[in-house]
This record gives sequence, C-alpha cells and structure tokens, in this order.
Amino acid sequence: MISNSRTIKKYRWLFVIGCLLLIMGCQKVINIDLNSASPAIVIIGNVNDQPGPYTVTLSQTVNFSDPNTFPAISGAFITISDNAGTTDTLTETTSGNYHTKKIMGVAGRTYNLTVRANGQTYTSSSTMPQPVPFDTLIVVQQDGFRDTNLYPQAQFQDPAAISNYYRFIETRNDTLQTRIFTIDDQYSNGRYIDYTLRSDTGLAVGDSVKVEMQCIDQGTYQYFNTFREASGGQTNVTPANPVSNISNNALGYFSAHTSRYRAIKVP
Amino acid sequence: MMLKQKFLFVALIVSNLLLAQSQQKFTISGTIKDSASGEQLIGVIVEVKELPGTGEATNQYGFYSLTLPQGNYTLIYDYLGYKTDSLKITLHQNIKHNINLAEAGSTLQEVSVEGGAKSDANVTSAQTGMVTLNVKDIAKIPVFFGERDVLKTVELVPGVVSAGDGNSGFYVRGGAADQNLILLDEATVYNAYHLLGFFSVFNSDALKDVTLYKSGMPVEYGGRLASVEDIRMNDGNDQTYHVSGGIGLISSRLSFEGPIKKGKGSFLISGRRTYADLFLKLSNNSALRNSSLYFYDFNAKGNYTLGENDRIYISGYLGKDVLGADNVFGINWGNATATLRWNHIFGAKLFSNTSLIFSNYDYNIDITTAGINLGIQSTIRDWNLKEEFQLFPNSKNKVIFGFSSIYHTIIPGNLVSLDSNINSTNIQTRYAWENSVFASDEIKVSDRVKFVAGLRVTSFSLLGPGTFYTYNAAGNPIDSSKYSGGQFVKTYINPEPRFNATYLLNEFSSVKASYDRNVQNMHLLSNSTSSNPTSLWTPSSNNIQPEIADQFSIGYYRNFLNNKYEFSVETYYKLMQNQIDYKNGAQLVLNENVESELLYGHGKSYGAEFFLKRKYGKLTGWIGYTLSKTELQIPGINNDAWYPATQDITNAIDVVAIYELSEKWSFSATFIYNTGYPVTFPSGKYEVNRNLLYYYTSRNGYRMPAYDRMDVGATYKCKKHKHYQADWCFSIYNVYDRWNAYTITFQQNPNNPQETQAVLTALFGIIPSISYDFKF
Repeated sequence: MISNSRTIKKYRWLFVIGCLLLIMGCQKVINIDLNSASPAIVIIGNVNDQPGPYTVTLSQTVNFSDPNTFPAISGAFITISDNAGTTDTLTETTSGNYHTKKIMGVAGRTYNLTVRANGQTYTSSSTMPQPVPFDTLIVVQQDGFRDTNLYPQAQFQDPAAISNYYRFIETRNDTLQTRIFTIDDQYSNGRYIDYTLRSDTGLAVGDSVKVEMQCIDQGTYQYFNTFREASGGQTNVTPANPVSNISNNALGYFSAHTSRYRAIKVP
Repeated sequence: MMLKQKFLFVALIVSNLLLAQSQQKFTISGTIKDSASGEQLIGVIVEVKELPGTGEATNQYGFYSLTLPQGNYTLIYDYLGYKTDSLKITLHQNIKHNINLAEAGSTLQEVSVEGGAKSDANVTSAQTGMVTLNVKDIAKIPVFFGERDVLKTVELVPGVVSAGDGNSGFYVRGGAADQNLILLDEATVYNAYHLLGFFSVFNSDALKDVTLYKSGMPVEYGGRLASVEDIRMNDGNDQTYHVSGGIGLISSRLSFEGPIKKGKGSFLISGRRTYADLFLKLSNNSALRNSSLYFYDFNAKGNYTLGENDRIYISGYLGKDVLGADNVFGINWGNATATLRWNHIFGAKLFSNTSLIFSNYDYNIDITTAGINLGIQSTIRDWNLKEEFQLFPNSKNKVIFGFSSIYHTIIPGNLVSLDSNINSTNIQTRYAWENSVFASDEIKVSDRVKFVAGLRVTSFSLLGPGTFYTYNAAGNPIDSSKYSGGQFVKTYINPEPRFNATYLLNEFSSVKASYDRNVQNMHLLSNSTSSNPTSLWTPSSNNIQPEIADQFSIGYYRNFLNNKYEFSVETYYKLMQNQIDYKNGAQLVLNENVESELLYGHGKSYGAEFFLKRKYGKLTGWIGYTLSKTELQIPGINNDAWYPATQDITNAIDVVAIYELSEKWSFSATFIYNTGYPVTFPSGKYEVNRNLLYYYTSRNGYRMPAYDRMDVGATYKCKKHKHYQADWCFSIYNVYDRWNAYTITFQQNPNNPQETQAVLTALFGIIPSISYDFKF
C-alpha cells in the first residue's frame, strides 16, 4: 500500500533506471578524492509510551575513506524534560549510550532534549501523539518487478480527525531490518490501512517476524522522509542531510512516539 | 529689385521641388523561394550593387522590401548553397518581384559571384549571439544511433552545453534547462526531448532551419531567460510529389510532400517511430519481454497562397513517449502543437503575420501492482494569439511591432485511485494570462553603424478560480484566499528593453554590443539530479515572482578569405533575479502546497565564447570553445553562501568536421569535451539504525568527471536511378568507448562492509549504427 508520492517516485525511477541499465548501462567502481570534514555529532534519541529507561546515543561522523567504525562520544551531559515538570539527567551506561532514570513516556506530552558535548549545545523537542491501535499483523504474498515474495503487512484504522504519521520497525529472526518504513495519512486519511513492509528481500517460511508500530510526530516523520536522500543510492533528488529536528546542525533525530508490537511466524 | 528677388525666390522653390522629385523613393519587394521545391528561403541577402550597405535579408517567410531613391540598379540575391542571381531594375515606381533561386550544383565549388561571395551576415547583421543552423548542415552530422537531430546539433555550438547523457535539456550561457524558449512554427514545446534525452522531438525531415539566440533577443520573443530556439518547418514541395524516409537500427521515419495546387499550395506529412523495445523482446527475463519502450513523432503542414498578398499555413505536431514495465508500471508523456497562420502583405512595405497557436504537454503515470491501482496525470495547455508587423519604411529603418496573448491552463496533478487505500486527489488547476506588446526599430545610422532599439512589455496575471495560500518561513499556510473564475489574483508587469549595436570596422570585421532583459513567468520545478518528464511547470503567483535576467554582451566578429571563414569572440555577463531552488526534502509531486517548498535568490553567469567556422569547400565545420562560470546565492542553501549552479561548466570544447571526399562519399566527425558539472558528494559518513548514511557539507562542492566523446560517421550516396536517391549512413557513437558518468553513487563494498566505495554508472559505451535513407 502506498500513501504518499515518495513511493511513487521510487517506483518510477526504479523502472526507468532499471530498464536503461539492463539495456545498456555499465558500472564500475572508481576512486574519488573526497574532502575530509571536521567530525559532526550524531544524536539518536527515542522516548516511547512503554516503561523506560529510554536511550540517547551519541556518535560521530568519520571520513569517507575511513573504515565503517563510528566513534562514540562519551562524557556528554544530557537531559530530557517533559511539560509535566519532570527533568531527567541521563547516565552513560556503555560508551556513547545514555539512559534515563525516572521520566515516563506519556502520550500527549512534549519532551525536550538537551545535549551538551564537545563544547556545543544541541536541543530538540518532540510531542508524543495519541496511540493508534495496531490491529493485526499478517503475512501477504505480493508481486515485485520480477517475482513474487512474502512480506509482513500491518493493518490498522487511521483516525480521520488529525494528521497521523507512522513508522514501522521490522525485526526478522532477531535481526533488525535496515529498511525505513514511514507513512503519513495525506492520501488515506480516515481509511482502514493495510501497509505492506516491502523490504528488498522477502520472508522465508519459518521466519519469526516482529513489527513495532510507532505513532510519530511530524518532525520525526520529516527526518525519515528525507532519509533516503542521504543514503547514497540511486535517488532523484539533490543529496542532502536528512532534515533533523535537532538544533545546531546535529545529525540524527529525537522522537517521542507510542509503540505497539505484534509478532508472527511465517507459516 | 523686388522683381529680381521674387524671381530668385521662385527659382529656388522650383529647383527645390525638382530636386525633391528626383529624390523620390520607391520600393522593390517580393518573396524568394527555392526553384525546385517552392520552399520560402529565410535569410537570403538582397543587395544593391550600386549602393553597398543597403541590403536586406528575407524574413522567416522569404519576404524582403527595399526602399531606394528612384534610379537604375542591379540587385544581387545571395544565399549560401544556391546560385547567386542578379536582376537589373529601373526603379521609378514600386516593383513587386518574386524570385526563385536554384541550388548550387554542389558545395564543392565555391560560390563565385559578381562582387565576391557575400553571406557576411555574421559581421554585418545587427544581432549578437545568433547562430543559424540549416537542416542541410544538420543532415551531415549523425548524433546518436545514426539519427540527425536539430537540438543535439545546437548543443555543439559554443555557449550551449548538453545537460548530460540521459538527461533532457541543455544549458545556454549558464541558464537552467527550463530557461530556453523552444518554438516549433511559433508554438512553445514544453518538453522537447524524448526518452531521457536520446533524441529531441524534432524530426529533421520536416524542418527548414533553426535560429538560436543567446543574447540580444529580438523583441518578438519573450518568456524565457536564457535563449530562443526558433525552429521552422518546411512547407512542402509545391512542384512535385516526393516520398523520403529512412530505416535505422532503432528508429525509422517516412515523409510525404507535394503540391496541393502546383505553385500555389503544398503539404508535408512526416512521421517517425522508434522500436527500442523490440530488443527487449530478445531478453530472457519475462518482465522485460512484456515491457515497452518507444516513441513516435508526427508532423503535418499545409499552406496555400490565396492571392498575391496573402498566404495561409497550418502546421501541427503530435508526439508521445511510452515506457512500460510488464503491465505493472507505465508512464507516457507527449506534446501536441498546432499553428494557424496568415501572412498578409500591405502594399510594398508592411508585412503582417497573424498566428493562432495551441500547445499541450501532458504526462500520465499508471501503477497497477499488487495492492496499488492508481493513475497520475498532469497537463499544461496554452492558447496563443499573436500578431507581428514588419515595416520597412525606408532603407534606413526596419520596424517590428505587435502583440502576443497567451492563456495558460496548468493541471499540476490529478491522482485517480482505483483502490481502497488511497483517496483520489486533485491538485487545483491554475490559470494564467500572459500578454505582451513589443516594438523595435533597426536603424542604419551610417555606413558603419547599425543600432536596434526595442522594448517588450509583458503583463502576467494569475487568475482564479481557486484557493491561493501564503506561507510562513516554516512552510505552513498562514492565509488563504478564494477567487472565482476570471478574477485577477496577482499581476506582474515587466518591461524588457532590448538593445543591439553594431560597428563595422571594415568590410570584413565588426564589433557588436547588446543589452537585453528577459522575464520568465513559467517555471519548471524539478529537484532532480537528472531531468525527468514529470517535472512540474508552475506559473508566477502570489508566492513566486517572475525570474528576471539582464545580459550584457560584447563581441568581435571577423571573416576571412572572402567569407570562407567566420570567426567571433563573444563575452557576456548575466545577472539573474528570483532564481528558484528547493528546501531539503522538498516534496514537489502531488503537493497542494508546493510553493511552500521553494527558496529564492539570485544568480550570475559570465563567460567568453570563441568560434571559428569554415563555410564551404571540401572540408567544412567549426571549432568552438567556451570558458564560463555560473553561480547562485539562495538564502537557506549552502549556509547562504554562493555556490556553483548545476549549469556551471567551466570549459567546453566542440569540434565539428565534415569532409566531402567525392560525389559519393562524405565523412563527419564530432568531438565534445566539457568540464564535469557540479555535484553534491559526501564529505563523511555515519550510521543510524544500522543504515549507513553520508554526510554532506556544501552544495555542489564537487565536480563530476569531465565528459568527452568523439563520434564519426560516413555517408555513401548510391547511384541515382531516375528519381530514386538513396544513402547509406554508417556511424559510431563514442568511438573510443569512454564511460562518461551518468551518475556516481556510494555504497558499502559488498566484499568488505568496513569500506565504502564510489560507483560510476555510464549509459552509453561505443555504439555503431547503420541506416538507410531514401528519397523519390
């Protein structure tokens, strides 16, 4: 199920490029001299309506030619506060991972994040939406460009009264799937939605699939919607960093969301 | 005393009258055509042997008008590729003289003429930045798969650079791809390219010539900032019937022309279709076998001469591109244009052209795969009424004046959903009315100085019905107003002065300067790194202001060896206002609030173009070199600093060579080099949720690798049987198989996940081709 034009764009380009490449395209790996940049901070923070603790992760960018190991940032000062009067200072458990102690995730509340690291301050704010029930998770068979595959499908009723944004996280056999699934209700407001989580590969019989359905706010949705533009693959938009809801040019996002879980085993 | 004075006084008056009588002027005018086909010849030089410097060129309909003092003259009619003709006249009343010129036997011989070969228009004309390409020249340069293509040949001219392999469009003097006004018989063509820029929509079998204006645009053109490509169709042979065509590896074409009434009217019908998808049928993959990839073009034209002073024309174009994948996905797009024209000649000095023009561009996307069943459609449609007068009051002035009125209808996107998960959506249709009045005078101030002063005033109005929003900086609507049909929502009035000046240093060299202002009210929104046919045309509005460009240009022009060689150096400086770019993550497709995603700023572009052309002989062709820079400054992008525009191509070299070995064999070669266009590449990387992401610092801070390519072609003329003439054309595209980059993308090394690598995708390697052309 598609509910926004981003997926339409993806389809269009997939086919056009696919056709062209299959006919006459050629590819090769090349060496490119890319400049080094001074490292930028990457902040990932999540607060949900399940019991805590909640985690904020800090890391840094590396140069393009470096190996893919990303240094954590230790010793930062991080607080999360809500608009009900609680402020929680996070403690660092493992390097780069900071946990809350007491703050509770409650739908409707606004959470403010403050991070002080490497002499800079970064702030963000996210409002947790009201939860939308996650009715069912099933396995469906769908046609792809070349073949037919099995995918998980989430089913739920979109509330008509407000704008809703959703994110789905799929875990397959305890492995987190990398594909980002986010949708809004712009074209399907008020409808009963069947959303298929189409990863690059389909499910195999016997796989255990767990899906988390998150109701996210607009800032988080905007971040994930612009995620693809930074992932370096075949995009048709001028590449740019995803639109972050964190200040001071930080990379990453801060999301307050509701979480509902369902699991299924592929028959 | 009194009587003597009276007598002197009367004598003075009488002698003055007699003198005035002898200086009375008359006009010779007429239409010049090709003697074999009846095609009107554009740009024929009509000179007076006794009065050098009083010559005129025929207009787009072959019409000329010369006003001279009473006397005896020898007129010389001169046109490259044709036998020069001369005419002795005694001018003591207005003369109407139509003339037919015969093609020169072969371009191997130099065209020798009384007084030396002329065609020095590049030095003497009052126009900077103008290049004319005759279809006969274009026919000798194969560009891709053996096809000849007018826009692909325009890209070989200095100052013009292709947007790259697989992209539609080209950049003129650093202007964006939507800043070129492409006209086919006066109708605007919104998307002039087929399937991702392989070919343009123009089938050269149906064309007469194309004139490109890079600066100093004449007042009768307006609406785009960077250039005008005025493409004219042939009228059709008014003497005899002919069929011509060609069969090639991926496309074929067929034309039929002939008289409606011999000497009075003719028609031309031309069609072309590609069949690239036939190769897909050979694939092992069933999805590819069921895919389609083709386009077609259809041109038709008819004309009829109603009397000595009246001629009507009707021309039309219809084209479509179809790309489909296995009934799962399909996209098609196409242009349709129609022009109805009436030429009327008032007396000897006033020529009028009245046109009614229709232009339509639309695209459709269909997606029918499991769970989705929807269609998206977008259209832009113009109705245009245009009147242009050309007045030749005397030998020193040529006056052009007229008006143009265009009604635009833009349907940005309708989503029709046949499935329960998605609502059908219609983005509001927009209506606009664009009116212009224009006037200019080309003045021969003296033997050495020509000056063109012109003004075009454009009024652009966005009309209701509809709801119009204004937005705050965050992009949220803060106000909306409802208008009913025909109400004026927002009007912009802009004057566009146009000046050109020419100073003749001597018979074979000149210096020219120009200043022009152009205003653009239709904007192509596309935040793609590669152009695509579903980009969105949007009118100026309460949020989007008209784009404005001011260009200053100075050039030096010199011809050598009796106009066998043309040389020019042109420099330009352009300032652009209200240039549009997009916020990060801008959603342009099916977005009611697309105007909230836009950012505005200004740009500047400057450069120098060198051009050397050899016009006749066994070897003809040209060499062009352009050095230029284009940059933009748009608040919200690149931390508000200047950044290079995508069109910033520092060095561009074009070499075209055509060698006619003999009557049977001719060879051609083209070589292109350009600096790679600016691109945004990462300067670092990081990880979010197990996804590797790239870190971008500056916009367009890097460059793609340079683009270079050489193509060669050979044409063999078979023996002519009676009326049947055929050629074989062999060509090799990209002779040394350079993998010019289409895109460069980044990924984790599949063999070593700790490493990231850059991957270059090239579209076309070496492609040989063969085609067979015939005519009878």
